Amino acid sequence: MDKIVTIAINDLRVFLKDRSNIIFLTLVPLVMTFIIGYVNGGGFGGGSSQLRVDLLDNDNSELSAQFIASLKEANSSLMLCPADNDENDGCNLGDNARLTREQAEQRVKDGDTLALIEIPAGFGAAVESFQPVSLTYVSNEDFTAPGFIRQAVDAAALRVNGAIVAARVGTDVAGQIEGITLDAAGQAAFTQQVYDRAAGIWAANPVNVAYELTAQQESSTGEINLQSGLAQSVPGMGSMFVMFTVFGGMTLLVIERKQWTLQRLVSLPVSRAQLIAGKILSRFLLGILQFAVVIAMGVLMGVNLGSDPIAFILIVLTYTLSITALSFALGTQLQNEEQASGLSLLLSLALAPLGGAWWPLDIVPEFMRTIGHISPVAWAMDGFNQLAFFQGGLGDVLLPVGVLLAMSVVFFVVAVSRFKYE
Amino acid sequence: MTNLVEVRGLVKTFKRRDGTEVRAVRGINLDIAQGEVFSLLGPNGAGKTTTISMISGLLAPTQGDATIGGFSITKQPMQAKKLLGVVPQEIALYPTLTARQNLDFFGKMAGLGGKELAKSVDEVLDFIDLKDRQKDRIDTFSGGMKRRVNIGVGLLHKPQLVYMDEPTVGIDPQSRRRILDTVIQLRDEYRMTVLYTTHLMEEAQELSNRVGIIDHGEIIALGTVGDLIQQIGEEDRLIFSVGEQQIENDFLQQFEAIVGITKVTYQSRELNVAPGLEDSAELVIAKKSTGTMVAVRSGQVKDGEIVVYAKRGRKALPELLRIADDAGVNIFSVEVREPDLEAVFLHLTGRALRD
Repeated sequence: MDKIVTIAINDLRVFLKDRSNIIFLTLVPLVMTFIIGYVNGGGFGGGSSQLRVDLLDNDNSELSAQFIASLKEANSSLMLCPADNDENDGCNLGDNARLTREQAEQRVKDGDTLALIEIPAGFGAAVESFQPVSLTYVSNEDFTAPGFIRQAVDAAALRVNGAIVAARVGTDVAGQIEGITLDAAGQAAFTQQVYDRAAGIWAANPVNVAYELTAQQESSTGEINLQSGLAQSVPGMGSMFVMFTVFGGMTLLVIERKQWTLQRLVSLPVSRAQLIAGKILSRFLLGILQFAVVIAMGVLMGVNLGSDPIAFILIVLTYTLSITALSFALGTQLQNEEQASGLSLLLSLALAPLGGAWWPLDIVPEFMRTIGHISPVAWAMDGFNQLAFFQGGLGDVLLPVGVLLAMSVVFFVVAVSRFKYE
Repeated sequence: MTNLVEVRGLVKTFKRRDGTEVRAVRGINLDIAQGEVFSLLGPNGAGKTTTISMISGLLAPTQGDATIGGFSITKQPMQAKKLLGVVPQEIALYPTLTARQNLDFFGKMAGLGGKELAKSVDEVLDFIDLKDRQKDRIDTFSGGMKRRVNIGVGLLHKPQLVYMDEPTVGIDPQSRRRILDTVIQLRDEYRMTVLYTTHLMEEAQELSNRVGIIDHGEIIALGTVGDLIQQIGEEDRLIFSVGEQQIENDFLQQFEAIVGITKVTYQSRELNVAPGLEDSAELVIAKKSTGTMVAVRSGQVKDGEIVVYAKRGRKALPELLRIADDAGVNIFSVEVREPDLEAVFLHLTGRALRD
């Protein structure tokens, strides 16, 4: 065991002597994590704190105005374009001060906005006279247009409907009470009074839905959006950079063979198993260190990665182990640095997106999701997502952890049996 | 004398990509006595490195076995390796680590630890004369200094057998001399057994108690340098430089008549005068057709050489000079070439070692 640890410590020392390695281990992953997190979570809609939605009010009535107000109360992060456009052109309208239906639909298709809400002409009159009326809601229902926009629309519609229903019911009940006689004007005033009262009570005591994608501390939807991106990107980028770092071990074996330090080690009283174990331990520790840097950055930014640290650590350990074993299973067969570097880069850049490190696998077709699970990254991300988005615990990550462990064993067997130093 | 290394029927076969087999080593038998310097000579591809790699545990033999201190390299590799120190031809060190960090690491890997390790590292640093540079990174060292650390690593655990693979390749003459002295010191002062490979005959000749010549995967000659030279019956060669003088056959026959002289040849070669130097001085640098650079008189375009083959060349030299003086032939220089390993190698393999 002493020799294994000595080899690992020596390899770590050699690795850390190169300052570019330290930069790659720390700075690059931090920057990448933030960028990908921003793109995944905060880059769409109206910036990091607002959700851009187009709203066409073809009615311009008092009720449509109330509906819009209710919509904003239901979700304060909505930027309703073009009405809410600011001097920075947060609506991204350019020179268009007004929007047509066609333009708005195109913007949804292009991803310029998350959704389109259209209030039809006659909306107010129809509601007041209890006639059926439909709002139009258009969105690309994917992860960029989360359900809480639709929920905000439903909530606002419910409020308007509810107040109208309350006013109508109130008026009807009042008309049936003996001794109360109202002329038409009095009835209208009474109805309006009940409506205002119902709307006021609703506004004062709203039943708000906490629109959270994750178990966030923050209540601002805008922040939740960025947080959700980081909750995806922090483990995702961690997984990818672990591959970059650990797969570097493939190059290491080739370099050591080339500079003859590997042969010298073999000529010393060190068993092959000790040698491989030492090399693997050093890369495994670097992988853990790499993950720790990215996770620490995420934690410092307030990203909630779930409430079960033991389960989280277990995924990190088994994932890093599987990647380390994979790198040695492949690295033992390589002849030169070019092969090692090329394969390392290819695998990192293929397995990361395939496994959902760059974006959630939820957005890809089912068959791609299935194929993606040949990558250890996919299993790790399954586990991380269970913890971060579904409040999962240790029991929920046992499957991915088990699969990653099984992968590790298989890769280790291949690595040890095929290791060559000559 | 006890044998430290015993090699028996060592065979190594490699498979080519097309599935055919290459027999790189074809049943080598070899004994190396305790405390001797044994040199293994052979041209590239002769099987020298493969043989040594098997003895030092880097390659598994296809057949046969070798023992170091009685421990089989195939059955007891850990015990055998404890008696072995390897000094590869390559600088097998971590370039970004310091000399001391390298020695510490490899010392631990050799099984040393604690005070024993620290003492051993200090002793080695003294031995290779790099104590004042112990905290400097290897990549800041000169080629000779790197070689010394490379040797030092192989000596850390005080092995009984040190294998040195061409340790003087690519270094300056001063560093080379230092390394050769180190090998002599290891043999004479520390009583270590040294297995040495080189393509420089003069090194092998200077250092070795015995020499083995390997070619096509087989040892074709084995013994002391003197034994080998005697085996092939090579003669001394006396080379007389006579410039542009006309040499008659009568004169050459006088040389041949001296007892002990077996053959006399004369050859006049064109001189290739170095460009730009032809008329600059009385003496100019010229290149012989053999490639040797010589100083000749300005305007001289030919250089004649009389080569005399003799059993004891030095003994015949005064008489040869007297005959030349009597015949009025000016001898500008005389070179005595005694038979050496190069000649032995050439005789046995039909090619020079550097080919």
